[in-house]
Amino acid sequence: MKYNSIGYLIGEGFRSVGKQKKMTSASIIIMCATMFIFGVFYLIGENINFIMKQVESQQGMRVIISEDLETDQIKSMETKIRQIDGVNQVTFYSKEDALASIKERLGGNLEILEEYETDNPFPDSYFVTLTDLTLNSQVQEQVLQISGVEEITAQDDTIASLATVAKGIQMATLVLLVILVVISVFIISYTIKLTVYARRREISIMKYVGATNGFIRGPFIVEGIIIGVVSALITLAIVGLAYNSAVNGILSSSVVQIINMTLYSFSDIFAKLLIVYFVLGTGIGILGSIISMRKYLKV
Amino acid sequence: MIEFRNVCKSYTGGVDAVHNANFSIEKGEFAFLVGSSGSGKSTIIKLILKEEEPTSGNIIINGKDTTFLKPSRIPYLRRSMGIVFQDFRLLPDKTVYDNVAFAMHVVKATPKHIRRQVPMVLSQVGLENKAKVYPNELSGGEQQRVALARAIVNNPSMLIADEPTGNLDPNTAWDIMELLNDINLRGTTVVVATHAKDIVDKMNKRVIRIDQGNIIRDEKGGYDGEI
Repeated sequence: MKYNSIGYLIGEGFRSVGKQKKMTSASIIIMCATMFIFGVFYLIGENINFIMKQVESQQGMRVIISEDLETDQIKSMETKIRQIDGVNQVTFYSKEDALASIKERLGGNLEILEEYETDNPFPDSYFVTLTDLTLNSQVQEQVLQISGVEEITAQDDTIASLATVAKGIQMATLVLLVILVVISVFIISYTIKLTVYARRREISIMKYVGATNGFIRGPFIVEGIIIGVVSALITLAIVGLAYNSAVNGILSSSVVQIINMTLYSFSDIFAKLLIVYFVLGTGIGILGSIISMRKYLKV
Repeated sequence: MIEFRNVCKSYTGGVDAVHNANFSIEKGEFAFLVGSSGSGKSTIIKLILKEEEPTSGNIIINGKDTTFLKPSRIPYLRRSMGIVFQDFRLLPDKTVYDNVAFAMHVVKATPKHIRRQVPMVLSQVGLENKAKVYPNELSGGEQQRVALARAIVNNPSMLIADEPTGNLDPNTAWDIMELLNDINLRGTTVVVATHAKDIVDKMNKRVIRIDQGNIIRDEKGGYDGEI
C-alpha cells in the first residue's frame, strides 16, 4: 500500500476512536480488566517458576570419588562432569569439608568424631546441581560412566516431584493464557462489530466506489491497535503498582524471611510484561477487527 | 461497453427477477432503464455492479466477461464506474469536500491530485461554495449533486444511476438530469434506471423498458414509445 493511503487510514482510525468515545472507552475498560487478570496470573506463574528455579538450584547429586584417585585425576573429573548437558554447578567437597560439615550438624566435638580426626572415613566428593531437574536421571547415567566415580547419592524422589510441579505450573499458565486470549478476542471483536455495524453505511459506500477489503479494514485495524496499545499501557501501570506493593508485603512477612525466598522485582519483569502486553494488545485488536468485519465485507 | 448476453437472474425463493436479457450499451451512450417498481431494473443495476451474480448468461463490461471475475478484482471493476443512488448515500459526518475526496482516497490518489481534482468537480456540479458544508445542511438536490461529484471524481468511463431523481421535486430532478446529460456530453457512458415518465419523455434518449423481468422494448424515444 502506498505511503499516502497508510497516512489516511491511520488518520481515519484515530478519528473513529475520537468519535466513538463511549464505545472505545468500554472496549478499553474490558481489555484492561482481561489483561489485568492475565497479568496477575502471569506474574504469579513467573514468580513460582522463579522460586522453583531457586529450589531446583539447591537440588542435586553427590558424586562420591573413589579413594585411590590422585589430585590431578580428581581435577580432570570435574572438567568431565562440567561437560555433561544439564549440569549447572560443580562444587568440590574434600574429606575435611565433609567432616567439618558433619561436626557442625551434630554440634560440638562429640567423642565419636575424635577418632575421625586421625582416620577420616569420609570420601572426597563433588556436589553437582542441575539446570533442569528433569535431566536428573540422564545426567546421573553419564556421571557414572566417568572412571573414578564410586557412586552417586541423590534424593531422586524429591527431584522428580519438583520437576512435575514445575511442569504443571508452566502448563497451567499456558492454558490460562490461551483462555484469556480467546475471551479478549471475543470481547474486542464484539465491540468492533458494534462500531462496524454503526458504520455499515460507510462501508457499503466504500465498496461502491471501489475500495478493496484491505482498504476498508485499515481504519478498523488501526482502531483495534489503538485500543490494544492504550489498554496495555494502562494495565501495565496498574499491574506495576499492585505488584510492587504486593511483593513488598510478601517479602516483609515473617514466614518468607525464614525460608529465605526472593521474588522478581517489577523492574526485572517489566520488559517481559511490556512485550507480552503489546503483542497481546495489538494482536487481539487486529484479530478482533478482522473477525468482526468479515460479514460486512461481502457486498 | 456494457453487454448482457442471455442473462437470467432468479433469487433463492424462486423470484424470477430478470429473464433472458440481451442488450448492449456502447461507449458514450445515454440510456434509460425504465419500468415500474419490481420490474427488474434494480437487479440489472446490481448485476452491472456485480453486487449480484447472474444465474445464467454473461455480462461483458469494458470488453471483459465479468462472469468469472475473482471477488478480489470487483473493487477494480467498480472503479471504472461512478454510481449514484436514490438516497444519495453521503457520509453525514464528512464535509462535502471530504465526501468527494473520500472516493479518491479509496483509489489511492495522491494528496496533490485530490486537492486539484475535488474543487474542479465541485464547480462542475455547481457546489464550489459548499465545500465545507455538511450534507445535512444541504437540500436534496444539492446532496445529489455531491453524490454526482463523488461518482465522477475519478473519471470513470461510465456512470450508473439508480433512481437518481426519486427523492427530488420535479425542478430539482430536471437539474440533475441536465447534469447527467452534461457528464454524458463529456464522453462518459450514462445509464439511468428510473420510472419518472416525464423526465424520460423530455430527454428523448434510448429507453430500455423492462416489465416483469423481460425487456419489452429497446429504442430511442419516450417512456412508452416514440414521441
